[in-house]
Amino acid sequence: MASETDAPEISSLFERLLRHRDLYFFLPFILGVSNNSVSRENGENPDQETSQETTSQRERIILVNPFTQGMVVVEGDPNLEALLRGWANKDGQPPASKASIEAMPSVKIGESEDGECVVCLEEWKPGEVVKEMPCKHKFHDECIQKWLVIHGSCPVCRYKMPVDEEVMGKKGDEERSRREIWVSLSFDSSRRTGDSNQVPSTDNEMEG
Amino acid sequence: MIDFARVQKELQECSREKDSSGIRVSPKSDNLARLTGIIPGPLGTPYEGGSFEIDITLPDGYPFEPPKMKFVTKVWHPNISSQSGAICLDILKDQWSPALTLKTALLSVQALLSAPEPDDPQDAVVAQQYLREYQTFVGTARYWTESFAKASSLGVEEKVQRLVEMGFPDGLVRSTLEAVGGDENLALEKLLSS
Repeated sequence: MASETDAPEISSLFERLLRHRDLYFFLPFILGVSNNSVSRENGENPDQETSQETTSQRERIILVNPFTQGMVVVEGDPNLEALLRGWANKDGQPPASKASIEAMPSVKIGESEDGECVVCLEEWKPGEVVKEMPCKHKFHDECIQKWLVIHGSCPVCRYKMPVDEEVMGKKGDEERSRREIWVSLSFDSSRRTGDSNQVPSTDNEMEG
Repeated sequence: MIDFARVQKELQECSREKDSSGIRVSPKSDNLARLTGIIPGPLGTPYEGGSFEIDITLPDGYPFEPPKMKFVTKVWHPNISSQSGAICLDILKDQWSPALTLKTALLSVQALLSAPEPDDPQDAVVAQQYLREYQTFVGTARYWTESFAKASSLGVEEKVQRLVEMGFPDGLVRSTLEAVGGDENLALEKLLSS
């Protein structure tokens, strides 16, 4: 998918965020994105940013944890739309290996066999040749291929298909230059969270 | 490219089963990429008796990418933004499968109304209230259901009928209701001022 290639660098960040349970709380609270200043002060609108055009080169993302009053600033040049889509896909099952897709046997639908391909919702036609996954669930060749190259799991039972080692290894290497600034805000100063100019000056670096 | 043949099949199935599930899906326009879903609030919850409208947008990759869903009806729930209606539900994100349909996805949203997950919140304020002051949460959720999910629970036909009974012509009533997004009071105001 295009979104995966658009934001590989930021996706590794989110993978890291997702691994830390407490950091996970940041994810729904993306406060705002802008070139050099934070334009949004309302932390309760975590979803509005998706509608905002984000074409600038350098962007800053502010993640706010409302439980601890903490926030994290991420600088880089991600395309936010791609980031959010990429991150949504990130945690799903990675694509199935080419070999495993090719290895799926073709089977013939029996004369009295009922059922349908759950991907296109077309009923089986007697004598039709379809693909059978290792979990024995059957799909049209074209239908299941389209899915397995995105997520290598059975649409019905989530049976996990083998994954290409290479693809998995690559993701871990995609560290790139970015600045993370951690800010712990006391309760009284939490009003300043909307003021971007204050943020970088009060940094105490925690995460590397 | 959206698999429109599949979307058509889904809509047919939904209309066949709408009486048993209470869930309705209808297209907003001819292109089938924008739809509206209606789910009844589950019994025994603060959402009981409410009828919740959900805005559905199908991405180009549907059914290989999840449908985008958000609440149009305001709802007080830890996993639904009280501001934007955004829904925090795994099957609408990374746990989507093409074996799921608009109907099963809406059933999952309905199940989410029955079983909030305050530890994975979409709306932090609601989640905190749910965890710290559960009775207040129930009261607020019920009040929001009363205020926002009931007026719209009346079917369009009932609204049309009432407005026609007030003496407005059927066609004008329908076009006016459509223009104001189905809000009966706004439609009446508009009809009276025209």
